[in-house]
Amino acid sequence: MASEHAQLLRESVDDFVARGTDIARVRALRRSPAEYDRAVWQRMAELGWVGIRVPEVYGGAGLSLADAAIIAEGVGRALMPEPFTAAAVLACDALARSHNEVLKQKLLPAFARGELMLALAWQERSGRLDTAQIDTTAVPFEGGYRLNGTKRYLCGAAGADVFVVAAKSDAGLVLACVDRSTQGVTVDLEPVADGRHFGTLRLEDAVAARERIAATGQSAGMALEAALDHASAIAGAELYGVMSRALEMSVEYMKTRVQFGRPIGSFQALQHRAVDLYLQQQLASAVLEDGLRELDDAPAPEARSAIASRIKARSSEAGLRIAREAIQIHGAIGFTDEYDAGLYLKRALVLAAWLGNAAQHRRRYAQLTFRSEAST
Amino acid sequence: MNERASADYNGLTDEAFRQSVRGFIEAQYPQQLRYLQRRVRMSEIRPWWRTLYEKGWIAPNWPREFGGMGLDAGKMVIYLEELERYGVARAADQGITQVGPILMKYGTQAQKDAYLPGTLSGAIIWCQGYSEPNAGSDLANLQTAAVREDGHFVVNGQKIWTSFAHESTHIYLLVRTDREAKKQKGISFLLIDLKTPGITIRPIRNIAGHEEFCEVFFDNVRVPVDSLVGRLNEGWTIAKALLGFERLNIGSPRRPQYALRRLEMLARVKGLMNDAGFVDRFTTLKLDLEDLASLYSRYVEQVKRGEPLGHDVSSLKIWAMEAWQRLTDLLVETGAEDAVLEGAHDIAGVEIDFLGPFYYARPSTIYGGSSEVQRNIISKYVLELPS
Repeated sequence: MASEHAQLLRESVDDFVARGTDIARVRALRRSPAEYDRAVWQRMAELGWVGIRVPEVYGGAGLSLADAAIIAEGVGRALMPEPFTAAAVLACDALARSHNEVLKQKLLPAFARGELMLALAWQERSGRLDTAQIDTTAVPFEGGYRLNGTKRYLCGAAGADVFVVAAKSDAGLVLACVDRSTQGVTVDLEPVADGRHFGTLRLEDAVAARERIAATGQSAGMALEAALDHASAIAGAELYGVMSRALEMSVEYMKTRVQFGRPIGSFQALQHRAVDLYLQQQLASAVLEDGLRELDDAPAPEARSAIASRIKARSSEAGLRIAREAIQIHGAIGFTDEYDAGLYLKRALVLAAWLGNAAQHRRRYAQLTFRSEAST
Repeated sequence: MNERASADYNGLTDEAFRQSVRGFIEAQYPQQLRYLQRRVRMSEIRPWWRTLYEKGWIAPNWPREFGGMGLDAGKMVIYLEELERYGVARAADQGITQVGPILMKYGTQAQKDAYLPGTLSGAIIWCQGYSEPNAGSDLANLQTAAVREDGHFVVNGQKIWTSFAHESTHIYLLVRTDREAKKQKGISFLLIDLKTPGITIRPIRNIAGHEEFCEVFFDNVRVPVDSLVGRLNEGWTIAKALLGFERLNIGSPRRPQYALRRLEMLARVKGLMNDAGFVDRFTTLKLDLEDLASLYSRYVEQVKRGEPLGHDVSSLKIWAMEAWQRLTDLLVETGAEDAVLEGAHDIAGVEIDFLGPFYYARPSTIYGGSSEVQRNIISKYVLELPS
């Protein structure tokens, strides 16, 4: 049963989805270099959403992943281009779990207020979920570190002011906060299917001063991996919003579209198809509810990763399938740019691929669970 | 000793109750009947029935005043989970799950006195006379008729797929008592002793080689009018009253989880856990079951809160049964040539029966409302699609 504050949060999200954003805005922002609307982000910050994962001591709400999921679901449902999951969960959790208090005091309150945008830059290769294969180097000098390397597939890079960069030093992993304006930093944006971009961050002797180092060694690794698991789960919630709306649209269409003198929703072949999509949505919903509750109990890292993979595997699979079949159920109109079904498919494509698709997460789940079961 | 008089199970914590049920099952349930990959015969399960009866545990769902455990919904789920966990075979317990609750709600005092004690002790074993040759998924089309004639009903017609009729003493029956009324409105609910003259029972061998279900023929069978439960033409309502909980129980992930464990064991001895293709298919199925367990626990919570189950619970039955079948399909594929050998076989030190689980899972998408009927239900009542 939803707690009272979760219920209030849900109402506030529903209200925002109904009045604070619309599909015309989503369409207008497609392919724009700004990618999203800073004023809308500001509004989300005022509602306490941007800082939902920022601990209260740094001016945030310090709420649970289950709460963040409520917002992500609304973001998905409305196809909002604002990088909620990428910034408010992925980048924020990585920084919030780091040990540099002074740096956190400096960055997190500004982030929660919506004044400063964060993006996490960790990935370098396509199709990889592990953080062990990082080639970007962090070479220490008296004032801090010099960073060299290329980070890819960044979500929310378009408006990012500060990048939280994962790099390797001789002493292990380093999480360094690098300003966009730092010398030696370049950001390229590549358009992706849903009208937003994947960023590529190039670091050429970019300097991160000592006080800009968020975490090093084992604690950096732990912060990064927790943030990735949490963001995978919240991306699952965003996918849940996408699939729920896509399914609603399809079922509505089946009730109103008349062919052969009857609504197409009266044909059993289509009815059963719709039920199979509904089943996938129900499974995704159940996994999210169970999984988020477990994640909020702070399980051990391996268990946490297994849960995150369960969520991301099912939501990616279900989200893509529902969005693909929405096109089929709508027929030719579903394949037009003018109709919204395609927007849902494109967002599902991007969210399913980002942070690992269903096949990748199944593989990781297998590795995590078979190993631990064999050893018990 | 009989605990009926003293025990307040609902007063126990969930964990204490679970431990008590688990301990009893593990101490008393016959090993050779664990995880049976077929329906159990009454003759095999009768000693266990006796054990439960003497403990006062045969009817977890019945109120204490009728000799049941009087469990609330939450404890009931735990009780069933523990039976499933240990692989306890489900006896022909429709008297306990169906007839008892129906009599308590709709029966006369005389009917309760006549049937409830015997149903509890196992002296009366019930079978369910619902399906007919032309009334399967379209159950309301049933034609077996009962005509009122000088203080009796005269029953004529045929039932089919009646599980264990040949091992039962009584049958509860849906019959047509009004041919003019709309299909569902002309049906009544009767209780009949199978020794009544005019009844013929013929077992049907299924594809697994077992005789589990039967045909039951009624040829001018005269039964007293007090065989009627509830009012005349109220039978459909009575029969439908208990479907929700049945679908929750049937949607439990335990049986498919057993098949998954067998498959995993086989895969390990065959070295398939290093085969990327196999691992992806196996993991997909494993996650199908993990996710089923999440969905199942959501409905369990709903029952525990005392909320009625809606039509959406059909999702659970569809997914559980279809995932179970997919698992046994992969089990057979993984067994390759060995899989078509009849009976259990030693595969690198592991005793595995391939065909048993495969056959066992087959009818699960047919009985209790086929997967197609369940999809129709969700389509109509949940998605509200037009007909």
